[in-house]
Amino acid sequence: MALVIETPAGGLPAGNPSAPGDPGGPVTSERAAGATLAEGALAEAAQAGGDGPDVPGGRSRTMTIVGHVALALLGIVCVFPIYWMYTTSLRRPQDVYKLTVLPWPLSTSSYSQALDQLDLARLMLNTTIVAILTAAGQLLTSLLAAYAFAVWGFPGKRLLYLGFVGTWLVPFQVTMLPNYVLLHQLGLLNSLAGVIVPNVVSALGVLLLRQHLDSFPKELLEAARIDGRGSWTTLWTVVVPNLRAALTALGILLLVNAWNEYFWPAMVLQRGPSVLQLGINGYLNSAEGDNWGPLTAAAGLACLPIFALYLALQRHVINGFVRSGLR
Amino acid sequence: MSRITVENVTRRYGGTTAVDAVSLDVADGDFLVLLGPSGCGKSTLLRTIAGLVAPSEGRVLVDDRDVTDVPARGRDLAMVFQSYALYPHLTVARNIGFPLRARRLRRAEVRRRVGEVADALELSALLDRRPRELSGGQRQRVALGRALVRDPGAFLMDEPLSNLDAQLRTATRTEITELHRRLRRTFVYVTHDQVEAMTMATSVAVLNRGRLEQIGPPTEVYDRPASAFVAGFLGSPPMNLLAAEVIHRDGQLHAVAAGVNVPLGIAVPRRSPDDAAGEPARSVLLGIRPEHLRVTSSAAAMTAATDATAAEAAASASGSDGPVTALRGVVRTVENLGSEEIAYCVVGDGEVSVRARRPAGFAVGDAVALAVDPGQTHLFDRESGRRLVWRPDPHPAVPSARVPVAT
Repeated sequence: MALVIETPAGGLPAGNPSAPGDPGGPVTSERAAGATLAEGALAEAAQAGGDGPDVPGGRSRTMTIVGHVALALLGIVCVFPIYWMYTTSLRRPQDVYKLTVLPWPLSTSSYSQALDQLDLARLMLNTTIVAILTAAGQLLTSLLAAYAFAVWGFPGKRLLYLGFVGTWLVPFQVTMLPNYVLLHQLGLLNSLAGVIVPNVVSALGVLLLRQHLDSFPKELLEAARIDGRGSWTTLWTVVVPNLRAALTALGILLLVNAWNEYFWPAMVLQRGPSVLQLGINGYLNSAEGDNWGPLTAAAGLACLPIFALYLALQRHVINGFVRSGLR
Repeated sequence: MSRITVENVTRRYGGTTAVDAVSLDVADGDFLVLLGPSGCGKSTLLRTIAGLVAPSEGRVLVDDRDVTDVPARGRDLAMVFQSYALYPHLTVARNIGFPLRARRLRRAEVRRRVGEVADALELSALLDRRPRELSGGQRQRVALGRALVRDPGAFLMDEPLSNLDAQLRTATRTEITELHRRLRRTFVYVTHDQVEAMTMATSVAVLNRGRLEQIGPPTEVYDRPASAFVAGFLGSPPMNLLAAEVIHRDGQLHAVAAGVNVPLGIAVPRRSPDDAAGEPARSVLLGIRPEHLRVTSSAAAMTAATDATAAEAAASASGSDGPVTALRGVVRTVENLGSEEIAYCVVGDGEVSVRARRPAGFAVGDAVALAVDPGQTHLFDRESGRRLVWRPDPHPAVPSARVPVAT
């Protein structure tokens, strides 16, 4: 007498090697058949020239290549002007109109000329002050407004929000003159404050942050309320730390916009302090006519802080814009 | 320690009423489960108690103090959310300590209490992790810890187990019950899971479409459902509800329908010979739990399975001794639950589920005869759905509703 493992009545399940009984024939032969089948399929795929999709329903390799080539061409078109700007700035003054792709021999004379003729450090500082204060102001007002719109319910909310967004649709040219008159009355013309103050609210910022805040988990806000936080402390201890990616992305966008702003500073700063974009423009209207060498050199320098910023915070920018909400 | 009283609370959202004039009293140390299908208003009611939602009408009292207009943080209530609502940017330790920091406790004190709670919940090894690095069960514990650390008067829980897998849910259920016994605090717990309600609660409040259907200990809610809704919601499968007529027969009340002839165990003295004929029949819903139905014979030979007259004949033939065949039907499907079997039988134009220990020998297509103890039948009003009880009045011979008919 002995205990034996029960054998299923209907025979062995195929391909179960641990089952006792016949260890041989049908199982192995079946496997072999399977193998040849798979090989056949592989051979077929190879005959098709590798043109089949990698994933079922995926795109074929040809399509992928075409797509990449198209994207690469588009990328070149986008990058070329910037490349040409730096190339021109590095040519010798007499080579400025040459069309060689590589600037040779290299020369930094355009840069020294730009630095001689422009107080670049001063311009850079002014631009930095204007850009940082404008962006910070816009970020703060956007955050507060978006928080109120997303989290609170109050009468007239929809109307107020539409009004807010509506200001985004009003062209700059419409508000330009009233703003100018107001600045004149406030005595802020020809000062950096005059450039900053009318721009501290950004409808775009409110719009973008509200989208992010609408998808912010409401239970987190409720948990904070239960845990004893008021609305203001909830904003700073719960919302802002979890909104960093969106805030960084928006902050960079606003900073770049403020940095590149030309028209409004040109109106406000007709005398007194100046900013980079105005200084560079001076070259186009200078007495000797178009002075492309120093112009491109100054423009190239003006771009560097933005490039540096983007490189440093690239990950956040992509996260902030690609993801529409928080996870 | 908190006693929570809800007085006539109504909450409307636009045209819909989520909570409709609910009043209940949760005694200090009670474990009240708010039970009901999704959309019945149980979560809204809990949020009203928590102070996250303001009632449109009515009052909320904690320890007889009116807190209707007191913000959530002033109510001394802690809440565990369905999604746990852990702060993703904070470590476990800082998540648990968050309510204490919000109350500006000293740092050393915060650390001491977080340590205590973490020990109790076996979270000590995880204090430096962030919520996304935790498993579902661990997150649930952190959420519990964040509520515990405040040592609140009462705990509010909104389906805290619904995101856990079945095994973990059972274990956590026991832990929460244990916690309630140890802390002796008031718990208000929202769930749609009747097993949680039956196993954890000291009292269950069943809600339906914003209204309170019944409140009482789990056994009472199960054994004496106050309405057809409660009867049909609790139990798995729920109570069988059959449309029937209550009539006089042989000095007793019977509930009859096609294939149904259930003696109700209520003797009615016959006042005159033609009395029975003159009585109007009363339309009711007859309720019988699946586990209270017994198979008297699988009666394969019976041909007129759904014939009421055959059932009556069998009932009168078998007399008072031995099981009385009350229902006749045909097995439609059989479910095997391992320890038990559930047979779904067609009876008349309705369906009846029968629960029996395995092997019960049900086979699809079998004709079955079923018996039930008269004490285990329930009657509900056809219109209002409220429970009917027999009141031996001198005059009316038809059972009347104990509870006034509510529309």
